[in-house]
Amino acid sequence: MIVRKGRSTVQIERTQSAVSYAILVTFLLLVIFPFYWMIVTSFKGETQMRSLVSMFWPSPFATENYEHLLGKTEFVSWYKNSIIVSVSSTLLATAIGTLGAYAMARLKFLGRAFMASTVLITYLVPPSILFIPLYAQIRNLGLSDSLTGLIAAYPSFTVPFVTWLLMGYFESIPVELEESAMIDGATRFGAFRRVILPLAAPGLLASGLYAFTQAWNEFLYALVFITNVKLRTLPVGLSTFITGDVYGWGYLMAGAVLTTLPVIAAYIYLQKYMVEGLTAGSVKG
Amino acid sequence: MATVAPSPSPLPSGERVRVRGGFPVEAAVQPRVRLEVTLRRVLGPDYRMGFLFVAPIVVLVLALVAYPFCYAVYLSMTRKYVGMAPVWVGFENYVRLTYDGFFQRAAINSFIFTFASVGIKLVLGMGMALVLTSKIRFRSFWTGVLLIPWVAPTVVSALNFLWIFDYSLGVLNYLLVNVFGVLNRGVGWLSEPNTAMSSVIGVNVWRGFPFFGISFLAGMKAIPGELYEAAAVDGATVAQRFRYVTIPGIRNIMMIVILLSTIWTFNDFAIIYILTKGGPGGATMVLPVLTYEIAFGAQRLGEAIAVALYMLPPLAFVIIVLSNYMRKGRIR
Amino acid sequence: MDTRLKHLAEQLDAGLIARREFLRKAAVITGGTAAGLHALRGMAPAQAKTKLRVWLFKSFVTAGNDVLAKQVETWAKDKNVDVEMDWATFGDREQKFVAAIEAGNPPDLAEMNIWGPLRYKAALRDVSKMAGEVAKSKGGLLPFAERAMKSDGKFLGVARYSMTTVFFIRKDIMEAKGLKVPKVYDPDVVEFAKKAQDPAKDLYGFGQTLNRSDDGDGFMDNILWDYGGGVWDKDGKPALGTAFLKQNTAALQFAVDTIKKHGIQPPGVMGWTDVSNNESYMAGKLVTTNNGASLYFAMVSKKHELAPKTLCVLTPGGPAGSFVGSSCYNWAVFQKSQRAELAEDLILYLEDEKRFNEYLQVSVGQAGPVYKGRVDNPYWKSDPNFDAMLQNILRCVNLGHPGPMTTAAAEVRGQKILTDMAGRVVVGGLSAEAALKEAHARVEEVYKIRGKA
Repeated sequence: MIVRKGRSTVQIERTQSAVSYAILVTFLLLVIFPFYWMIVTSFKGETQMRSLVSMFWPSPFATENYEHLLGKTEFVSWYKNSIIVSVSSTLLATAIGTLGAYAMARLKFLGRAFMASTVLITYLVPPSILFIPLYAQIRNLGLSDSLTGLIAAYPSFTVPFVTWLLMGYFESIPVELEESAMIDGATRFGAFRRVILPLAAPGLLASGLYAFTQAWNEFLYALVFITNVKLRTLPVGLSTFITGDVYGWGYLMAGAVLTTLPVIAAYIYLQKYMVEGLTAGSVKG
Repeated sequence: MATVAPSPSPLPSGERVRVRGGFPVEAAVQPRVRLEVTLRRVLGPDYRMGFLFVAPIVVLVLALVAYPFCYAVYLSMTRKYVGMAPVWVGFENYVRLTYDGFFQRAAINSFIFTFASVGIKLVLGMGMALVLTSKIRFRSFWTGVLLIPWVAPTVVSALNFLWIFDYSLGVLNYLLVNVFGVLNRGVGWLSEPNTAMSSVIGVNVWRGFPFFGISFLAGMKAIPGELYEAAAVDGATVAQRFRYVTIPGIRNIMMIVILLSTIWTFNDFAIIYILTKGGPGGATMVLPVLTYEIAFGAQRLGEAIAVALYMLPPLAFVIIVLSNYMRKGRIR
Repeated sequence: MDTRLKHLAEQLDAGLIARREFLRKAAVITGGTAAGLHALRGMAPAQAKTKLRVWLFKSFVTAGNDVLAKQVETWAKDKNVDVEMDWATFGDREQKFVAAIEAGNPPDLAEMNIWGPLRYKAALRDVSKMAGEVAKSKGGLLPFAERAMKSDGKFLGVARYSMTTVFFIRKDIMEAKGLKVPKVYDPDVVEFAKKAQDPAKDLYGFGQTLNRSDDGDGFMDNILWDYGGGVWDKDGKPALGTAFLKQNTAALQFAVDTIKKHGIQPPGVMGWTDVSNNESYMAGKLVTTNNGASLYFAMVSKKHELAPKTLCVLTPGGPAGSFVGSSCYNWAVFQKSQRAELAEDLILYLEDEKRFNEYLQVSVGQAGPVYKGRVDNPYWKSDPNFDAMLQNILRCVNLGHPGPMTTAAAEVRGQKILTDMAGRVVVGGLSAEAALKEAHARVEEVYKIRGKA
């Protein structure tokens, strides 16, 4: 039976659409404007920044900030270091979290309930004080002043969320799938690897994105654990444009744009998986 | 629980022993098997794989979180200056803090900041999710774009807003005074106590609402469409559908997000430190900034850590209670 | 075994193998035996190039940083030492020091500000002998520097230079209105500001924040002294709300009045950070402001249009005179350093007049003299604005004045107690006297904990 929409239904839908778009545009403006401002500032010359002339558009259009950034600073090596640390720590955190999450979601062993309840408790400890004893710890392990130290330390604040997220995700995958795999002769681990993991791909991607973002933006540990100027990461490198009461706004904003753009681009492309990954509870297949 | 084919018998008598998921037929068999059985009973049937899989997390947490945390707790009960050995003082730091006016003000500010921020983020996040699940085009694009604040480095965003809020050269005042003509003169966003707190809340909200939005979006997508249709058929209005279908459906994720965001907002340091350093006149001083000032300004590490840990017990209690509540409600 | 280890060590130095590989192979060679490890340990300092970790202060004068870096590198090459330089600036310096000291991993040598030696006293090495030699070779330390570097009769730092604040005035506006350079805050600066400003055009007469910042803290110290008050009495005991209550009330009231009563400050000044007055001045919105040499440097180095229109003069004063707080950047060696002699050698090298002059020439007034012998350097006559900087340095007083410079004084400044107090009046609505008494309680507490150390 074909149901035709009545006139009033169409009207309601249209109004709803209009309201949605209105709200969306408002959000968009609020979200985009600071970012737009960052970009515009990065293209402004020194003199223009100290005045209110042509607030919203660079005049003249100056690329000096970017030239200085890429040519006269260590920006490129900061970028490289950040990539190394972020990617490595993300892989590490996702691996650790996946294993732990699967165990806590599916396997039965002593202490599982306790662990599952307390996985998020590590977030209670404020990093602003944790970093002092943590630095001593990293140093004892011989990892201070190395990218490895950061790669080892970053999972400490990304793994809990990753684990929690994947726990929910694994729980939403029906047990029957694993059981049928095992009836077919697979080991528990084999079922995990061949059946569960591929199904959990969106969850893994979402966790990976989250862990990457946290690592990419992290400042405090990178500042304290590393003293070798060649090993600086992006956030720390950018902060060097601030010396006491002289802010290099142009360089800062240019650096900020270059730091943020790739991550935003990745998110726009991958956000679909992020949403899917956060969705726990839909039965597949 | 699968019952697999019995293993090839290791027993000289040829008896078969079921050792997967069930108890052995004959308990009075070889000691090695009995040990295995006892282990499984005590540690759980999947203990080998389970322990192996959680070992990395346990090691990580113990080494990088638990151990430094315990050391921090110990330090909070000492008088510790930089470079000098700690002197045990028991709870003295905590007692002194309880009566300290600055600490009290910072604690109040922390609560105001946290609750206001989380509350607004909740509303905005809900709005964002609702809008993104309604009938619009280019949904992917909108979702991605709205995530920008959460994705950008906090330090960078805070600096950006510092520049935007600037009284004389900032663009916000420029918009309000020169472009829209709404005000005669600019507002000292970060220099008047009322606007300072609102400004830092605003930046925190700007930065954090996408996390709420995308989590709620994910939760809403998981609600089966049939529930909505059923409600519509029963004559529910939009508002009623929201209240009786949407909210219960995302209740779990809502609680988790509120919980996490409360903790993260409570511990948020960068935004306030960069924008106001706790000023003007302590109007935006919150516990994390106070911790920092005492640690690096006054160099009294023991006391600084006590400030940071003061609120830990109630927060921990809330986490455990909520966690258990949610775990009980999870689908098995 | 020795030759194989030696070969490995050379490879490590040349960067041909990574440290981990070196350790692995060394473990294999030594067989992990105690004797083997002993041999390896014995070889380490002899074979590996000595490494020196140096933390330098990253100044806003970028040219100066480059000069310093090059000097250190030249020295390193000469001595065949591997120097690892790290730079820290105002915002992140303290965190790095605290974390490093607590982890038992401080650098060998660090460039510190005036409070460094006091704050990190427990971890620093006694450099009295060397400091004495350096001072002697340069005609002796200026009194404020000596008081700052010495603690319990020992020198914990070798003074390098002093970075002072001065009073910046828009010369063109002053001349246009036929005004004279103000000598005291009240009433000179107030009158000057009122006559020179034009709030309708967003130009204000005086820009001085009382917010938690270096600018604010420095000003609060100075103004209390200007009125004959201060935080400490001459014995180093707290006097903020007791012995000096009357004078401090007058001083605090004046400071608050500049914002609330006289209308000579821009709105929003209580939200300023250290950057704000620099930017305001350079944007042409302030007629006068107090700031360090960084503002002058920023204008001169960028050939800002206001640079030639700026006049630097002595900081104005009050009824009890005109006071400026001291600054004394210095070199400190950490106790944990295994290469103290090397560090001291580097200090001698950098403080040698030839090298220091190189730095001075590009410093745009940042590197004020701390030794009597450097006062007459012709550099200070190369720009008329430098004279004010020099004079301010020569008459500066230390934190804790009129008492000694103590750890307690450093902590009171570190906790920003004075600017908090000002904030309580401007924003919190307290009376000056009430705020003083409240702050005094905090100072008492600090004094009780820190003692007279």
